[in-house]
Amino acid sequence: MGNKQTTFTDEQLEAFQDCTFFTRKEILRLHGRYRELAPHLVPLDFTNRPDIRVPPTLIVSMPELKENPFRDRIVGTFSEDGLGNMSFNDFVDMFSAFCETSPRELKTVYAFKIYDFNRDSFICKEDLQKTLTKLTKGDLSPEEVSLVCDKSLEEADLDGDHKLSFSDFENMISKAPDFLSNFHIRI
Amino acid sequence: MEEHKTVNFMRLLSDDSTHSTVSSDSCEYYQTEIFDLLPSIQASRPEQSRKPSEAYQDGPVPGEESVYGHLSSGPRDKAPTQPLRNMVICIQGKRSARERRKMQISESWRRSQSINRKRVLAQIGGALSGLLPWQHTLHAIEGRFGVGVKAYFVFLRYLVHLNLLHCVLICGLILGPTLFYSITKSSEPLKFGGNDSVLDFFLGSGYLDRSPVFYGFYTRGSLNMQCLNTPLLYLAGILTILFLSLILVVRRTTVGYKHTWMLGKRYSMNVSYKIFGGWDFTIQDPAAAALKHSFIRNDLKLFLEEQSFSRREAQRTLGQRVRLYLLRFFLNLLVLALLGGAFYLIYFATKTSQDVIGHHWLVSLVLEYLPPIAISFVNLLLPQIFRKISSFEDYSFTMQVNAMLVRSIFLKLASLGIYLFFIFKTTKKPHAVQCLENLFGREMYKLCIFNFLTAFCNAFFLNYPRKLLHEKYPSSFLARLWGKQRFLVPFNVLDLVYSQTVSWVGVFYCPLLPLIEAVTLMATFYIQKFSVLRCCVAEQRMFRGSISSVLFHFMLLLGLLMAAATLGLNLYQPEGTHMSSCGPFGNGQSVFNVTGVCVDSLPGPAQSTLRYLASSAFALPLILAEILILTSYVSRGRANQKAIERLKEMLVMSSSDKRFLVKQHTTMLRRQRNPCRVRPATIEENQPLTPSHEN
Repeated sequence: MGNKQTTFTDEQLEAFQDCTFFTRKEILRLHGRYRELAPHLVPLDFTNRPDIRVPPTLIVSMPELKENPFRDRIVGTFSEDGLGNMSFNDFVDMFSAFCETSPRELKTVYAFKIYDFNRDSFICKEDLQKTLTKLTKGDLSPEEVSLVCDKSLEEADLDGDHKLSFSDFENMISKAPDFLSNFHIRI
Repeated sequence: MEEHKTVNFMRLLSDDSTHSTVSSDSCEYYQTEIFDLLPSIQASRPEQSRKPSEAYQDGPVPGEESVYGHLSSGPRDKAPTQPLRNMVICIQGKRSARERRKMQISESWRRSQSINRKRVLAQIGGALSGLLPWQHTLHAIEGRFGVGVKAYFVFLRYLVHLNLLHCVLICGLILGPTLFYSITKSSEPLKFGGNDSVLDFFLGSGYLDRSPVFYGFYTRGSLNMQCLNTPLLYLAGILTILFLSLILVVRRTTVGYKHTWMLGKRYSMNVSYKIFGGWDFTIQDPAAAALKHSFIRNDLKLFLEEQSFSRREAQRTLGQRVRLYLLRFFLNLLVLALLGGAFYLIYFATKTSQDVIGHHWLVSLVLEYLPPIAISFVNLLLPQIFRKISSFEDYSFTMQVNAMLVRSIFLKLASLGIYLFFIFKTTKKPHAVQCLENLFGREMYKLCIFNFLTAFCNAFFLNYPRKLLHEKYPSSFLARLWGKQRFLVPFNVLDLVYSQTVSWVGVFYCPLLPLIEAVTLMATFYIQKFSVLRCCVAEQRMFRGSISSVLFHFMLLLGLLMAAATLGLNLYQPEGTHMSSCGPFGNGQSVFNVTGVCVDSLPGPAQSTLRYLASSAFALPLILAEILILTSYVSRGRANQKAIERLKEMLVMSSSDKRFLVKQHTTMLRRQRNPCRVRPATIEENQPLTPSHEN
């Protein structure tokens, strides 16, 4: 309660603390990082709730996301318009979902959304192929990609519709040994 | 209900789900009107506010619902008490939910307290794990070389902790009481005497012979009660060390086993894990990212290669198969012959090293170290030959790696076992004064020192010059012949397991061996760190099986069992064949004498219980009980597998029923709305009934 900050009202900070996994200090630090991305666009004072969105090209240039092959999908999933323009709310939401204290169920839901490229709430074979291409940086030939995707669908598809529904995905990822430690971004 | 094979069902349903034979309008079944009304879809939607109340910004709420709506897990009844953070809606939704919940102030305070407590605990955990030695180094190694090499260093650190624990036990139970209660040696303090030299530190004789390092130092002291005397404490210390190591290693092995192999081959989801859980989101360094990409790519290439290999294997003709099996048989005979030759070499070296009298000091030093030199030579040469042999055997790549690994492990542990066997059988008691146990302890000590020297010379006289050669003259013939140094994890781990086994075998004859071992391991850490960070290049492939911690701990368990067996066989000797003249069990008192005296002094019931436990009348019911328990677990496991199969089939069936009915309903609805549309009606009417009735 010591330092006087004028970025957020106390009430806003309380709301952020309740809705995310961050403390007051961390939220203020996140605001600093958000502002760093576009200092001319993002005001210092958020008390009157400005409607500011940072374009995705600036957000994916952050060091935490720069090397991630799925950075465009991550930013697209957490942004409201689906195109990647993130408000500060979306920004905090994103890092809160990826932080260490975020539970497995939450991470599973967001992982499913990230890997669902065409947003039809199923991971079909095309989604898998796109995921694989991003993961291997295009080093596998199309036949090899197709073979691997077939095998993955065969392993994980429980209800036989040749797509991964959320329950298929959840069942598969619950047994993955290092999903929780891998699906984590430190900020 | 008939038992169908899963394969049949999958083929049957694929027709139904990939093209709609029911409706001529092509539409995905989950975009139909009735889909949203299905109970299963309704159940998976979270409780959301339908109107955006004083939101931070006016966001498109209905759009959210249709995209995010049926994806969040968690049944409806959890929603009122689910913490806001865990809900899968954007921050606006959480804020409005929070508004609705504002009534329960005390609850939110309690919840925030518990969150703060968890946060503090997590921070303490993080600080403690940061205190673990060498954490920063391990992090750097992981970034540059991947998880496999880090696993080696983690294993090394584990062994250091284990050995330090042994040292504590030894100080408490063996060294402490002996020093405190010693009666004879208190007059002569330990100092450099007449014939001592620096060579004693390499040979374990002279100065070290009289020191607490070896067995002969620990005589029976003034603590002479029937059940509390220094020999018994000595024995108790050794047994505690072995037993504690057994518990720790078995615990680690089973924990790892549960993670990797619990599901069995049928349910292994290796490819899916690699795709969806393979990328480490914490990577920020471009070099580490490139390394991870190449690991994943190589993993997948390995998987593809195995697929093509199994296809090739299935196409082998009978003639090819017979020829292959004959070839494999002969190659295995060759391997056995090589192993036999290696063991003979070790026997020869052991025999030669027995007579060292009357030579120049350098020659006698080499002769004394001849057995460890022979063992190391054998273990350096034979794995290369095994690798050449396994390339003729036409196995898949992982099978080749595993075969080579198994052969190398067997070679290393068996060569140690053979050496111990020959020592214990052929060592003649040279003088009546000298201590036989000290001789054994000296051999173990020499093995330990030689291991360390090998690691040291390898790093500084082989790897470093190799790296310098590559840097200065990269295109020279020697550089191209030698290749770049790669850190082979399984073989380095095997070296660690070998040195730890030596430490376990030797702890009875050389009680300070764990301390020496701990010091050499710590030095090895820094040597290997230098070797890896300065001289090695990252391995592009990573074989999951060969770096699994289950394998490491299983090797350690094998070593421990060998050490326990050796010790047991040595101590369990019929009375009268060997009377030791030194150490705690000297003066004609064997182990059984001392323990017998203690047991006799116990009160009646305890004595008879102990005798009953040690007798064979107890062993048989114990074994029977263990067999019964194991059988019940195995049969329960099998019944669970069958239940899982049946449930999977049921799931596939219900899902296909659902899809069929949704499509039927939509078709009929659309037909009702557009009655004038011309449609090939005859096809639909003559459709067979639902697939679940077909077989």
